[in-house]
Amino acid sequence: MKSNHKAKVVELLGGATLQSKLMNMGVYKGKEITKLSYVGLRGPVVIKSGRTIMALGYGVAAKVMVEAE
Amino acid sequence: MIKKIYLIGNPNVGKSVVFSRLTGVQVMSSNYPGTTVEISKGYLLLNGERIEVVDLPGTYSLEPTSDAERVAVSLLKEYPKEEMVVINIVDSTNLERNLLLTLQLIEEGLPVIVSLNMCDEAAHRGVDIDVVKLEKLLKVPVISTCAVTGIGIKLLIKRIKETSPVLREKLSRESLWKEIGLIVEQVQHLQHRHHRLREILEDASVRPSTGILMASAIIYASFKIVRFIGEFIISRITDPIFFNIYQPVLEKLTFHWQEKGFWFHLLIGDLINAKIDFKQSLGVLTTAPYIEFGMVLPYVISFYFILSLLEDIGYLPRLAILLDNLLHRLGLHGYAIIPVLLGFGCNVPGILSTRVLESKRERFIASTIISIGVPCVPLQAMIFGLLGSFGGFYVGGVYLVLFILILVLGAILNRIMPGYSPEFLLEIPPYRFPPLHMLGMKLYFRIKGFLIEAVPVVLIGVMIINILLYFKLFDIITGIFAPVISGLFGLPKGAVVALVIGFLRKDVAVGMLMPLGLSAKQLFIAATLLAISFPCIATFIVLWKELGLKDLIKSTLIMIAISIVVGATLNLAILR
Repeated sequence: MKSNHKAKVVELLGGATLQSKLMNMGVYKGKEITKLSYVGLRGPVVIKSGRTIMALGYGVAAKVMVEAE
Repeated sequence: MIKKIYLIGNPNVGKSVVFSRLTGVQVMSSNYPGTTVEISKGYLLLNGERIEVVDLPGTYSLEPTSDAERVAVSLLKEYPKEEMVVINIVDSTNLERNLLLTLQLIEEGLPVIVSLNMCDEAAHRGVDIDVVKLEKLLKVPVISTCAVTGIGIKLLIKRIKETSPVLREKLSRESLWKEIGLIVEQVQHLQHRHHRLREILEDASVRPSTGILMASAIIYASFKIVRFIGEFIISRITDPIFFNIYQPVLEKLTFHWQEKGFWFHLLIGDLINAKIDFKQSLGVLTTAPYIEFGMVLPYVISFYFILSLLEDIGYLPRLAILLDNLLHRLGLHGYAIIPVLLGFGCNVPGILSTRVLESKRERFIASTIISIGVPCVPLQAMIFGLLGSFGGFYVGGVYLVLFILILVLGAILNRIMPGYSPEFLLEIPPYRFPPLHMLGMKLYFRIKGFLIEAVPVVLIGVMIINILLYFKLFDIITGIFAPVISGLFGLPKGAVVALVIGFLRKDVAVGMLMPLGLSAKQLFIAATLLAISFPCIATFIVLWKELGLKDLIKSTLIMIAISIVVGATLNLAILR
């Protein structure tokens, strides 16, 4: 997924706590998110979900399955 | 009958600012999630009755995922519902995400009142919320507030009594989010705004190339400004006071003091060339106040000014993104940069704020790294004051050694400790420009904290040193440690006293080195050792509280081992 592109979340993988965390912060199945940037070298990915900007560690980002529009 | 008021809300929505407004109790607030790691309590006078107000750590939902959230939720569920009111603080600029918690609170049958906070910023960002309609949809009182300026707080207090539990069926989070989408659609109107400077900067600071450039510039500038302000205060304010006013007064006093016995030694100390020397006399009235007010306090002021500014602007979480990668190798994640930076001010708040990290493993690594490799402002000020005269090379050397230590130690701990470093998931706040009065309050609050903590310890410390020196009791300790100190580290016997005093306070310990006339190499080694060896007593107690006895001992043994290795290595490696 490229920077500044939108995508829809299709599935959250990972453990129950991680899923719960993401869901609490407003990243859930069907939600449209925008990728803002990727720091590189397996660093964090910055996304925007609604009006929230958040940084996901590389491993977390890998568990958010999206479908690009 | 209301007996308790709980403040609850998402992280970084300004709960602590509302709390200060309601109770008049000043608590720390910053522009990043997780400033409140302890629960603060205060009182609000409501129709002549004192009601306890509790500020809870931020939480995104009533299904907690971290320790701080668990604490907030369990406290809330523990208390009888009929006797409490829950003030749900909501960030108006991000209504959608905040409403999950609001609806869960209502579902739980709690008497809720909503404070739509940061109303001024919402207006500024083109977010318009129909408060009346939102109140109708939620069926609980909703008040638009702006805690920083105080708008709406009176109305909020007035309407606290109107709260009552509302019946709502419990929904899954998916259905809640759907419902929230519908509510937001009805009450929120967004005005489209063009990208402005602030958004452009927000964006640039999280992109790799521009982000690293910005981070380097900000760190460099911060360092320069801290030094500039610190030196300015010293040369223009504190030094003139000490040398032009205080010294003549003291000297007049000592002039009439004929018998130079115990009390003279205790209060004034030794005269150097028949004069008081603030750096070498070592008296309770001479060196003690000079260390604290003339050498350390100016840097405490300048450091906390810059740190508070960076905190309130909201830069630190962005720095965390950039450093995530590096910190991962040390078994931490990016957010650990916050405890580390706070540790540069004073290790105590630094270690306390390791509570923002999830696992015990991370907290152990972070606390150990902070107490070994992060020198506090008082220590740094003294290192600058003492080593600075030998040139920046030595001062830089101390930082370099500490930095390498942090990397090596973190990497080793990450390897040998069982477990893994958890992933990082962090909300990034928008940049905010703090009103000056908030910044001023915070600075005042921190400096006051420093003075209350430091001054008595320094005075008592210098007093104890003088008594021990006067009765020559240090000779016993010196005798025991001398082989290690002089044989291994190449330091004179007198330095033993300083290293021992380091347990009390680091700045006084460096002060003890001043009269010894050490060479640059010796000073360099002694200063480095003081930074890495035993933490001061305040840090020690916090470590104990946060880690427990077993981990405290582990951490302490690591410190002692490292001090010996580093001290001996430096002594052998440096020829001059």
